[in-house]
Amino acid sequence: MKSRVKVGLALFSLLLAACGSDGTMPAISDARIGQPTGPNAALYFTATGYGVDDELVSVETHIAPSTELHETVMEDGGTMSMQALPAMALPASGDLILEPGGFHVMLIDVDPLEVGSTAKLMLTWEKAGAQTIEAEVVEPSETMGEMGSDG
Amino acid sequence: MNRRLLTLAVLSVMLVLTACGTDVASDQLQGVVIENPSPKGQFVLTDTNGQPFDFARETEGKLTLLYFGYVNCPDICPVHLAQIAEVFSQHPEVARESEVVFVSVDPTRDTPEVIRDFLDNFDSDFVGLTGSPDELVAAQEAVGVPPARITGDGEDYVIDHAGWVIAYAPDGLNHSIYPFGTRQTEWTNDLQALLNLTESQS
Repeated sequence: MKSRVKVGLALFSLLLAACGSDGTMPAISDARIGQPTGPNAALYFTATGYGVDDELVSVETHIAPSTELHETVMEDGGTMSMQALPAMALPASGDLILEPGGFHVMLIDVDPLEVGSTAKLMLTWEKAGAQTIEAEVVEPSETMGEMGSDG
Repeated sequence: MNRRLLTLAVLSVMLVLTACGTDVASDQLQGVVIENPSPKGQFVLTDTNGQPFDFARETEGKLTLLYFGYVNCPDICPVHLAQIAEVFSQHPEVARESEVVFVSVDPTRDTPEVIRDFLDNFDSDFVGLTGSPDELVAAQEAVGVPPARITGDGEDYVIDHAGWVIAYAPDGLNHSIYPFGTRQTEWTNDLQALLNLTESQS
């Protein structure tokens, strides 16, 4: 059952990727928000390069009054440190991967969100401009994707 | 004293010991195994009912998972706790013998009520602790993690904190730690293995 959903999601992502790769806009896949457990939540996704070096500069959404681009870094000694970034680089032919323990978009003072619901967000790229995406709200244990799954 | 260097040295030694490990624990555990398991640190903080919580005494004889974090942390803190809660819901026999202790290192924002609401997202049996800044530093030093640091200004400050969960088997010893990125299968394996550890050795 779960794997069928996964295959479905993968196919859907491929379709989206195919639609997105028109050379003017990054393709977005696996957009997900961990269900809020406090005032803030994190948005994760993978953006695929479209032939031009670009940068994600901001994210706006109706579910949170403000957002920040963040990177979690593990320092020597194991301390996890969270840093705000002015932008996140998307290489021309590569991926920008947002995932737990790395890059994320912090949604500050986020609304309560039900698991399984979706939210619209507007990404602003330095060169590609505005792009609206839809992210699914998932359980906090599901934000890791393949990294944390049993598979 | 350069604390960061010291921590790095300690972690390096632990890693080397892990690589050479041959005892029973390291055979069964998939987390980062501590070759010479240390006993629980002694500290007393305040729980979400406002009562003093003597860590070593209250968790005696239980598989104990200790984690320092904060409620506004949206990225790694919820993942650790959600992964442990997932094992507990699949294995009630593990949950019964275990205690999860979450210590908030954000005493300004995380009141006992805020901590309780946060933990109830995962498991209403998880223990949440807070204390004065000095008490929190003492607790972190007592269990050997680098004390959390506040960075940033005003209301938007964030907190740099130890990213791993410390596991004590029912024998009261810290046999392994779980850095961020631990897989769900590793949690499932190790929580059961840590419970069985004392049974097979006692």
